[in-house]
Amino acid sequence: MSTSLNGTSGGRGTNAAPSRPVGELVFAGLIVCIGIVGFVAGAGIPIPPSAGVVGPRVFPYLVSGIMVAIGIGLIIQLLRGHTGAAEEGEDIDPDVKTDWLTVGKLVGFLAVHIALIVPLGWPVAAAVLFFGSAWSLGAKPWWRNAIIAIVLALILQFVFAGLLGVSLPPGFLLEGVEIFNG
Amino acid sequence: MDNFLALMEGFSVAMQPIYLLYALGGVLVGTAVGVLPGIGPAMTVALLMPITYSLDPTAAIIVFAGIYYGGMYGGSTTSILLNTPGESASIVTALEGNKMAKAGRGAAALATAAIGSFIAGTVATVLLSFVAPYVAEFAVQIGPTEYVALMIVAFLTVGALLGSSVLRGLASLGLGLFIALIGVDALTAQQRYTFGNPFLADGIDVVLVAVALFAVGEALYVASRLRHGPVKVIPVAGRWTSWMRKEDWKRSWKPWLRGTFIGFPVGTIPAGGADVATFLSYASERKLAKGERRKQFGKGAIEGVAGPESANNAAAAGVLVPLLTLGIPTTATAAMMLVAFQRYNIQPGPLLFEVEGALVWALIASLYVGNLMLLVLNLPLVGIWVKILQIPRPYLYSGILVFAAMGAFSVNFTPVDVFVLLVVGVLGFFMRRYGYPIAPLVVGIILGPIFEDQLRRSLAISQGDPIALVSTPIAATIYIVLIVIFALSFWLKKRQKAMESEVVDPTPVAVVEQKEGGK
Repeated sequence: MSTSLNGTSGGRGTNAAPSRPVGELVFAGLIVCIGIVGFVAGAGIPIPPSAGVVGPRVFPYLVSGIMVAIGIGLIIQLLRGHTGAAEEGEDIDPDVKTDWLTVGKLVGFLAVHIALIVPLGWPVAAAVLFFGSAWSLGAKPWWRNAIIAIVLALILQFVFAGLLGVSLPPGFLLEGVEIFNG
Repeated sequence: MDNFLALMEGFSVAMQPIYLLYALGGVLVGTAVGVLPGIGPAMTVALLMPITYSLDPTAAIIVFAGIYYGGMYGGSTTSILLNTPGESASIVTALEGNKMAKAGRGAAALATAAIGSFIAGTVATVLLSFVAPYVAEFAVQIGPTEYVALMIVAFLTVGALLGSSVLRGLASLGLGLFIALIGVDALTAQQRYTFGNPFLADGIDVVLVAVALFAVGEALYVASRLRHGPVKVIPVAGRWTSWMRKEDWKRSWKPWLRGTFIGFPVGTIPAGGADVATFLSYASERKLAKGERRKQFGKGAIEGVAGPESANNAAAAGVLVPLLTLGIPTTATAAMMLVAFQRYNIQPGPLLFEVEGALVWALIASLYVGNLMLLVLNLPLVGIWVKILQIPRPYLYSGILVFAAMGAFSVNFTPVDVFVLLVVGVLGFFMRRYGYPIAPLVVGIILGPIFEDQLRRSLAISQGDPIALVSTPIAATIYIVLIVIFALSFWLKKRQKAMESEVVDPTPVAVVEQKEGGK
């Protein structure tokens, strides 16, 4: 929620973990790469004869140039030791190490959710996503997570598909139930 | 007095029972999400957009207006009552209310924030009603060259001034501009950066990007460093009717008004949004306080809550001036409001007051109504907000993910969109981790196509001569103002850092403020 706008620890990188500059460098390098791709792919944009003084390539080139320049600037800053100030928030514990496992689990459950929407329907996919996320984030016991997941998915399906007419596919389990169909 | 009549007509629309209900729903949802950490008004508007298609435009805009104001009220409740020990840094303006709550004066802090927000919101909405039509009249006369200048101001102030690192803000802006380029060029119908992919040829939906960055990015980021254990909320003693003592009223009313008149102008110029306004108000209250009261600053001075909270709300109304009259959003929430308008084929800008007059005035009228509702609801319902504040975090963030996935799927009803949600969400995670602000990206995505269009038009007029972009008197003035804004804001940032290290004592119990500017 809160991007620490007031620059409270800006530039000082107070909570920089030792591994962070590498990741930051990769990210900044990625920005340069996007700029380069922008130039290369931009050269392939056809210019129709009808295009006036400023064709469809000019603005892409401009943006790509800006990206390359900023990316290089960021890399120089990082090499000089100016790391970014990670965002803070009410639920962020500044003293703990990055929990990559949990992040990975959440990404995984989102992927499973995407795969399940079509074959099993939205409510099942949503329940799996909620159950998996709650479990990944440390909610216990599992059966309470499961009950909340199922109830939430059914309520959302009922309110948005049944009442508001948003076309969420109910899946074969709920196909015949009137109130879950938009 | 045309405008006055138009406003009255707006009221006659906004006061219809069904629209009152929508406004009530909007402010309730807005407050609830404002209270919750991890969800901001920008994200709420983004999430609700795909699923409010069945509403008529007026109803939808009224709901979004309610969310916009409600989010402000909710945010102050969180910063006052949520106890997050060990926070590495703090924001002075949120500090005072939190300190008051710890000293058992939480009720007074909540009350002065709510009443101040109401007064500021109402006065600022009055100012909006009278200023906006004149700005719109001026805006009708300006050409593409001046538009380009105005948008450059918006880009640079949002990109460079939000957040702590200028380069990171601009990089975020650049990413937004780049994503906006993907798809078909509006002027020549050529595909750009689609790599032959029919899905990319349609462009990447801005709602999808916004939901991904705000919701998924935030959930992943919080998950990576989640604060475990129970949520600690500072208890509020006594009944809400006895919240403000006579002395509190006496000390609050001047900061309320000062905050209002600081906040509104700062909101109208794109100078960093509500956060600049809150800081300016805090600094001036501290300067004006004398003797014993001065010493209270940093330990729970009621002036330090009353002023900044009012300034924050007044700035939120001020932000609507450039949004409605020029079509230029200067905060992430304003950017999402702009998208909401566009979804209903309403183009904010100079012609909005002429073409969609009835709708705009209904929107403004509903801001008055929403403000009153918020004042009436906020104080008595504080018990409910505290309950919401205590939702176990695993369930909160799982719920956010489910809602985000639903919103993404509802854009086009294809799982591919949910995949894009995941990819952009991971991008949002790394942006947060490495200190890149999110708002510039969203503003870039929305203003990018409009900017390119105006840029090409003005260059077509000048036959490709870029000097023409700065040579008209109005454009030149705008660029000079831009330089002044930059000089001022860098000076302000220095002052702010100095004051923060001065006010914050060595063992701060800090609460990061949950405010507009962030998302």
